[in-house]
Amino acid sequence: MENQKNFYEKLNEKVESKGFAFTVLVTVAILIGTLVELPPFFLTKQVEPIESVKPYNALELAGRDVYQKEGCFNCHTQMIRPFKWETDRFDPNKAYGPDPYSKAGEYVYDHPFLWGSKRTGPDLAHEASIRPSAAWHKKHLINPRETSPGSIMPAYPWLFENELDIEQTKANMRALRALGVPYTDEDIAAADKLLKGKTEGDAVIAYLLKLGRDTMVQEEE
Amino acid sequence: MEVNYDNQIVRWYVKSAILWGVVAMLIGIWIAFEMVFPVLNFNSPYLSFGRLRPIHTNGIIFGFTLSIVFATVFYAVPRLFKTPMWSPLLSRLQFWLYNLTIVLAAVTLALGYTQSKEYAELEWPLDILVVIWWVIFAVNFFMTMAKRQEKHIYVAVWFFIATIVTIAVLYIVNNIALPSGLLKSYSVYSGVTDANIQWWYGHNAVAFVLTTPILGMMYYYLPKHTNLPIFSHRLSILHFWSLIFIYIWAGPHHLLYSPVPEWAQTLGMVFSLALIAPSWGGMLNGFLTLSQAKEKVRTDATLKFMLVALTFYGMSTLEGPIMSIRAVNSLSHNTDWTIGHVHGGALGWVAGMAIAAIYYLVPRLWNAKLYSEKLAETHFWIATLGILLYYVSMWASGITEGLMWRAYDASGMLQYPNWIEIVQNLTPFRFVRAIGGTLFLTGFCIMIYNVYKTIQNKGSGFVPTDLREGA
Ligand code: HEM
Ligand code: HEM
Repeated sequence: MENQKNFYEKLNEKVESKGFAFTVLVTVAILIGTLVELPPFFLTKQVEPIESVKPYNALELAGRDVYQKEGCFNCHTQMIRPFKWETDRFDPNKAYGPDPYSKAGEYVYDHPFLWGSKRTGPDLAHEASIRPSAAWHKKHLINPRETSPGSIMPAYPWLFENELDIEQTKANMRALRALGVPYTDEDIAAADKLLKGKTEGDAVIAYLLKLGRDTMVQEEE
Repeated sequence: MEVNYDNQIVRWYVKSAILWGVVAMLIGIWIAFEMVFPVLNFNSPYLSFGRLRPIHTNGIIFGFTLSIVFATVFYAVPRLFKTPMWSPLLSRLQFWLYNLTIVLAAVTLALGYTQSKEYAELEWPLDILVVIWWVIFAVNFFMTMAKRQEKHIYVAVWFFIATIVTIAVLYIVNNIALPSGLLKSYSVYSGVTDANIQWWYGHNAVAFVLTTPILGMMYYYLPKHTNLPIFSHRLSILHFWSLIFIYIWAGPHHLLYSPVPEWAQTLGMVFSLALIAPSWGGMLNGFLTLSQAKEKVRTDATLKFMLVALTFYGMSTLEGPIMSIRAVNSLSHNTDWTIGHVHGGALGWVAGMAIAAIYYLVPRLWNAKLYSEKLAETHFWIATLGILLYYVSMWASGITEGLMWRAYDASGMLQYPNWIEIVQNLTPFRFVRAIGGTLFLTGFCIMIYNVYKTIQNKGSGFVPTDLREGA
């Protein structure tokens, strides 16, 4: 066995007693896959833009922050796969044209992405079309079992007691602008008006009604 | 040549593993019951599923698992190098900063401060804290390595080196964010780019926190405990290098059928399939180690836990690649099947090896015979039953769920358009899962009692038994 060592064994033997060289080799081994899979997203175009997709306004963004804070993404996905059974379920009104599954261009303003990995509750990527009623959402968030008997979703009554932090939302918008979201000064200033007197619950509902709104195909009556 | 080893730091880490293990598993059981009885959310933000779940995952991965990994590193590495840790002071500084981070993590997550990327939830000030103690750890480790008396670097240490290097790279790249407040920040990446980087990280957190250091533990404890050399050095080499090389590519199997570009998904799937080979290489090297004993090897509870760990490692590394096949993933993705897969690996492999480590270390660290081998046996059987209930119920639940999502009736309409109807079908399975988890924690508590009684006899003397019959 000793005299028929393969290439790797010889290589390994060389570094097995050299801690530094070993560590460098490990680093190289794990960087190869990394350098193939990550940089193309920055160096080449991997996303087809969708013109109608607009950034979240101040209230919707505040709602998105609440969505993150409460961890809604632990049970709700926001990514519809290209299967008939998924698009039939999550585009019941046929509001999204011939390919009603999720596309990269819908998420360009999502820092971070909120696709989730567990669909305990239904997908929300098209919520604007599926449940357009703010009143329904309010009832549901305060007590899910009232609108949906048998639901296992937690109730969120406190959302309608907590007020929003206008200054924080403005700071958030400025941070996102620095990351490339095209907010104008007016968009940021609008936070004063949009958030005034609103609760966290109102903001979440505004966010839910924004999900999928920009990509709905205009209905022609 | 006598080397003075620092056992105190190892004792601390064993205790912190036990503490975080109990806390995180209690929360796991709590959220498992919440999925059956939603009243347990108590209309309170702090008990709400969405906030508790990340405390469970962070607590178990970064609290419990890392503690036992650190315990092993601080125990095994000095012995393998025949050199004490370079700086006992840095060891202690790391211990306290690390535990402080876990406490702050639990508090901030309960308060709703989260980056909302899985296993990277902690907000930026905590990320910085993590980087600080990881660097302290790395410096202490590599300085010890530089000063080592034993030139040869044993396999277990390779896996620790891979962990230290890779976690640093993953953690920093995935967590780059722009703060907009003391506890609020936004990922600099967006959309599909963010998704791709997150699952490059997420999958490799599995690889380099829940797999490589646990393999390092296996390579240390199994031969030590059985007095048998590892079956094949050649296999060690082959599977180590191929494992770390291939793992990094596999992340996009979390993003199949998503808007992430096709080429990335294909790479993820292909490399995931390839992962079977190095994974099973490690498992076989473990199992075959026992086969070398000419005499029969007696199995005590510690060894049984190692064998169960290896078995479930084999299971989940076979199941994972299968779930990476697009057709299979179309059914399993987003369902309880994924949760079953996670916990087969987590309870069976990670917690199994961690528990074996605790049974191995405690008598040595407190110099006393284990209080009761019988209780340890009882622990083993209860834990195994718990894992099986968890795994099997989640398979059943996940496959049921996946099939109901896609079912059409004769008229071409979705057969179960009502989501709640599907959810209610899963309730019995989820109830069994919660019972399985409760059994697992019950076993863990029996171990704690056993450890406690052993510590009461500290200093009474410990002589390792040779498991090889007739040896
Ligand atoms: C008493 C034992 C345990 C119980 C009852 C338990 C329960 C749970 C529950 C209910 C969830 C959420 C599932 C969902 O959202 O549908 C979960 C998630 C998770 N648990 Fe556990 N758990 C236990 C032990 C562990 C251990 C030991 C580990 C790791 C070493 C672990 C790692 C995880 C991870 C990584 C997730 C997230 C899975 C994903 O996002 O797909 N758990 N656990
Ligand atoms: C050969 C090795 C493995 C492969 C190829 C693999 C593959 C997979 C796949 C395909 C998924 C489902 C992704 C999705 O549909 O969302 C998954 C999820 C997961 N696996 Fe594995 N797996 C492997 C081993 C392991 C092991 C040993 C563990 C250890 C505990 C583990 C922990 C997890 C976790 C925590 C998740 C859930 C991630 C999330 O959605 O939050 N895996 N794995």
